[in-house]
Amino acid sequence: MIDSGSEKHLAGHPFDRRDFLKVLGWSGTAVALSGCGNTSIEDGKETVVSYVEAKDYVIPGVAVYFNSTCAQCDAGCSISGKVREGRVLKLEGNPDSAINKGKMCGVGQAGVQHHYNPDRVREPLLRNGDKGETITWEKAYALIAEKLAAVKGEEIAFLTGGVSGHQKVLLGNYLDSLGTKNHFVYEAVSPGVVRAANLKAYGVEMPRYRIDKAKVVLSFGADFLGAWVSPVHFSQQYAQFRRGVDGQRGVLIQAESKMTLTGANADRWLAVRPGTEGILALGIINALGTATGDVAELVKGYDKARVSRDTGVEPSNIDKIAALLKLRSPSLVLAGSAAEGYAHGSQNAAAINLLNQVLGNVGKTIEAPVSVPFPQMSPAKGNTAALKTLNDDLAAGKYKVLFNVATNPVFTAPASYKFRDNMARAGFKVAFAHYLDETALQADLVLPLDSAMEDWGTSVPEYLTEGAQINIQQPLMERLHPNTRGLGDIVLALIKQRRADEYKGFDDYYGYLRGAMLQNKGALGGGGSDDDNFWNDTLSRGIVKLAGPSASLNASMATAGLKLPAPVEIDEHYPFQLIPSVTSSLRDGRHTNQPWLQESPDPLTTIVWDSWVEMHPKKATEMGIVEGDIVEVTSKTGSVKAQVYLFPGIYPDAVSIPIGRGHDAMGRYAKGYGVNPFQIMDSVFESATGELAMHETRVNITKTGQRVIVVKDEGPAGGMQMGRKIAARVSTDQVDLSKEV
Amino acid sequence: MTATNLLENWASVRHFHPIDDKPHDPYKWAMAIDLDACTGCNACAVACYAENNLPVVGREKFLHGQSMHWMRIERYWEEDGREFPDQGFQFLPMMCQQCEAAPCETVCPVGATNHTQDGLNSQIYNRCIGSRYCSANCPFKVRYFNWYDYPTTENVWPAEMNRQLNPDVTVRGKGVMEKCTFCVQRLRAAEVTAKGEGRIVREGEVQTACQQACPASAISFGNLVDPESRVHKQWLTQQVDLDKDKQDKDQKEGGSDLRGYRILEELRPYPSVMYLERVRESAV
Amino acid sequence: MYRFLRLPILLVGLFMAVSCYAVNDSQPTLTTEDDLGPQVAQPIEFPHYRHAGNRNTVDPTNSDPTKGGMEINCQYCHTYARRSLTAGIPPLQKCIGCHQNIPSVRDKPRIVELFKYWDAKKAVPWKKVHDLPDFVRFTHERHIKRFIEQQGRPVQEVCGYCHGQVKEMVTARRQKPITMGWCVSCHMKEHVVAAKADIPEGGTPIGKQAYWYTFQKPAETKNAAGELTAKGPNDCWLCHK
Repeated sequence: MIDSGSEKHLAGHPFDRRDFLKVLGWSGTAVALSGCGNTSIEDGKETVVSYVEAKDYVIPGVAVYFNSTCAQCDAGCSISGKVREGRVLKLEGNPDSAINKGKMCGVGQAGVQHHYNPDRVREPLLRNGDKGETITWEKAYALIAEKLAAVKGEEIAFLTGGVSGHQKVLLGNYLDSLGTKNHFVYEAVSPGVVRAANLKAYGVEMPRYRIDKAKVVLSFGADFLGAWVSPVHFSQQYAQFRRGVDGQRGVLIQAESKMTLTGANADRWLAVRPGTEGILALGIINALGTATGDVAELVKGYDKARVSRDTGVEPSNIDKIAALLKLRSPSLVLAGSAAEGYAHGSQNAAAINLLNQVLGNVGKTIEAPVSVPFPQMSPAKGNTAALKTLNDDLAAGKYKVLFNVATNPVFTAPASYKFRDNMARAGFKVAFAHYLDETALQADLVLPLDSAMEDWGTSVPEYLTEGAQINIQQPLMERLHPNTRGLGDIVLALIKQRRADEYKGFDDYYGYLRGAMLQNKGALGGGGSDDDNFWNDTLSRGIVKLAGPSASLNASMATAGLKLPAPVEIDEHYPFQLIPSVTSSLRDGRHTNQPWLQESPDPLTTIVWDSWVEMHPKKATEMGIVEGDIVEVTSKTGSVKAQVYLFPGIYPDAVSIPIGRGHDAMGRYAKGYGVNPFQIMDSVFESATGELAMHETRVNITKTGQRVIVVKDEGPAGGMQMGRKIAARVSTDQVDLSKEV
Repeated sequence: MTATNLLENWASVRHFHPIDDKPHDPYKWAMAIDLDACTGCNACAVACYAENNLPVVGREKFLHGQSMHWMRIERYWEEDGREFPDQGFQFLPMMCQQCEAAPCETVCPVGATNHTQDGLNSQIYNRCIGSRYCSANCPFKVRYFNWYDYPTTENVWPAEMNRQLNPDVTVRGKGVMEKCTFCVQRLRAAEVTAKGEGRIVREGEVQTACQQACPASAISFGNLVDPESRVHKQWLTQQVDLDKDKQDKDQKEGGSDLRGYRILEELRPYPSVMYLERVRESAV
Repeated sequence: MYRFLRLPILLVGLFMAVSCYAVNDSQPTLTTEDDLGPQVAQPIEFPHYRHAGNRNTVDPTNSDPTKGGMEINCQYCHTYARRSLTAGIPPLQKCIGCHQNIPSVRDKPRIVELFKYWDAKKAVPWKKVHDLPDFVRFTHERHIKRFIEQQGRPVQEVCGYCHGQVKEMVTARRQKPITMGWCVSCHMKEHVVAAKADIPEGGTPIGKQAYWYTFQKPAETKNAAGELTAKGPNDCWLCHK
């Protein structure tokens, strides 16, 4: 049935993949590196690139593109890898994908730096005191078998990020074979609360948002252009939204306590008192005056004066927004991380969803999601509550063996979890890792993973756009380090320890994947073609598009249980609300060791290579703080020291520190740059879902007396145009967009 | 020729650059960037690093202003005495404007930067001696100097990382100036292919790396003399003339209701990049 | 102090510089007999003369290897040249493809060596003979299109412009300077414009469009035979980028 060893086919051209992906004649790059002006051009000094065997379309000097899937985040953008002389050079978007339509974000582009990263783990490592000793894979597998034999099923726990596709199926089978159900799916940054609120309001966790169809978007801290759910897809929708529906340019209003990239692009940005997003939503419903019945009853108390007092938003702005929402329909209201990050996050999100329903957007700009017809492959969505449970279990000593698949909770768990200590209570810890990051360093056995450019795989993104699709991931080049392995290959080897008979037909994960795909050929749209043709076609496309079943939305305007707390009074010991911000380039910090992202200026502050504390200039002046002052940010849990950046896009009683930096391991480009706000985050949880309420920490700011020069890209004019027409702006009443092409 | 006369007519003296009296034919590469679509996400800048072998200089050198981003996102905020930037920030992708009468070209003592027939401002690394006059004379500050020999600098391209380098682009050594090239390696490849087939490069056949990556498709790039190209149509409808230093539309009473403009046009560099003003809703 | 000396010194210096330049106004010829590159040692002594050399007219059976070649087209082996920047070396399988059917030379030392690489599935580490600096990107494809495909000139003649008489060599050796001045000297020459080129009246389709500039068609030059001629491109960014 499966013959993975024989000639494999690609794009209709049969060839030996191994030979093609091989890195050829090193001379090309070696010489390129010696740069300009001082190169040897002596005849006979260099070797010429040549192949042993090559198919006609393989031409030295001409790039070939292979379609695969970006693994930098879970949005599932399809990529086209540019391969030349056996090296992957650049990742470009695959225009056939409905998700990214040929476009890429910066994080995705940096995928090559993940692959070529000099700090990748290259060999299986076994702990020997403080050091890691290189061992063979056979020994590593044998050790795992030995450790597993000594424990019961329920004493084994698996910690992974979001998984989907065949990896999820195989991993599930392995867990099954071990007799454990302890699979914790953890994402440090996830819309967990919004999912739950959506399920209540619409009957689905994540509907399809149609920003492109909306005439007004009112976003409560959803950074859909930067780091929220599927940014590349939303950016495309956004461009369409700006160009206009029926000739009318879309209007974006962003309400949040700390300006996000999306907020920076808003027509109107509202600084909201932290945690009062729900109150503002109810205030707008009240101002609309169209609600009836229960809803009208609920919003009765939320008159303009009170809402303005609570949220800090001018009454005139509430009027204007309500008027605009009435005038231009359909609109779209989004609840993002700024709304969900509080103990009452579910209530906030519910109030915001209620606004959507009152405006009649459900079914218009909020559409039913699609899903793949293979439920076993659909994504296991990560959240933060999973880590909390795991942490409690570890503290209680429930687990003797812990597998961690490329997540980094030692870095992303709040310090108050004491995750590092609790992890130590598991007797044997295995880390599947790309880098020796903070969590891998705590493991007893580190198994080096292939990069996404070396590995086979399938995945199903959580947020599907036009139709259902299964994304294919395939190697773009030969393994850079001979002793790394794909996740699928490792799990297959491990499952063979338990169920040898069942899996003996599969030499490797490639064989398993090909077999599994061929088995469902009919359902995957390849009914008419023979196996090889179907497989070639699938690989060359990099995507399997499916007519997936569509869920239905049920818009129930439930107001029961919706109760928003009054805004928190200022605590004199901890007068500031801490907003840990998720930036578009560093996200949860897993890619901090990719130098392009470190040197990519934060769009809002233009700071590079470091963390900062964002403070409103007004507040800073009161406290005598100037840009570059090192301040100590103290919470009940702990304190960090970082440079101050004066930033007007923040509620004056809040300060913000970005997530992603502050690594004390991982690699040369990550270690020692910046601070980690998770270290001072209090353990406060969202009351309905148990998710970590990331915005609930209150802090105090004290000057240390030190001052540094902030490393930023702002330029000498400090972001001012000095009367020149550089970045020009015009208001809609002065411009005629209908003439444009 | 008096000094006044020279200054007044300087534009006609120094521009219309195409060599040997040949006008731009069949190519004049140009760009249009819609600031209302640009979100400031930085994808273009990272794509440029990947395509053009730009070194990552690190924290220390960035602090000294030695960053090498050919494509950078400038961020502006006009205070106007307001407490909050309640109409958002202004983002501006800034790269070499490939000026028709480039101020950098006239000051190069060795002719390392000059105009090509397809309207690009070329930078020839092997000719450059590093006088940095061009950078001093560039009003857009988009020229970047190799203060160090980055190929041999620690952690710029350590082992393995160097395998990502694009073989079509020279890796620059110490002491040379560099800048955005409009991805000339892609343009030349497309031009040569088209020439071999006895035609011109078609619209959409060649993209710059930044344009290709831009998630909001804010950047359009193409052949300005091709009436079929999107760039041609955009420049035409926005009434921006390549060879004017004051656009007719702006001279009209009450100004123009079109968004197209070029940065620092009044300095008469005749940039090849047109920006479309960011729009903000007047109703909120 | 001595400030008054500055101008005279400057003037003297300038005079000397100008006179040196004036004396040196005759440029040396660019191609000389001395441009032969070193004989590069290759892993296998590949006999170009035997593969590409002219047929032996005296002995049409071509049995004596010292007397003549087989006139194999350069592009039969250097197949990438017409499709890529680089001419490249063919994959080993191409050598074997023919040689496995030529038992008569199977035992010759070079062929034995060749099969050793094949059996080990190892690429032959051929050495580069025509090397360019890394800031130079010469394209084989364009030159082959221009002179062989569009103008129909003989392959060996066209390749020979830059590579010399390779068909008479054993392993290839550089015969031309391959310097920038030498490249430009050819680009400055008037070359006959491809007879086969199908250029519509008035230039390229876009050439007919007047844009902001007044369109001027470049003056056409003709040679003594009345053929249309043109120079090669003269754009630094064509090769240096």
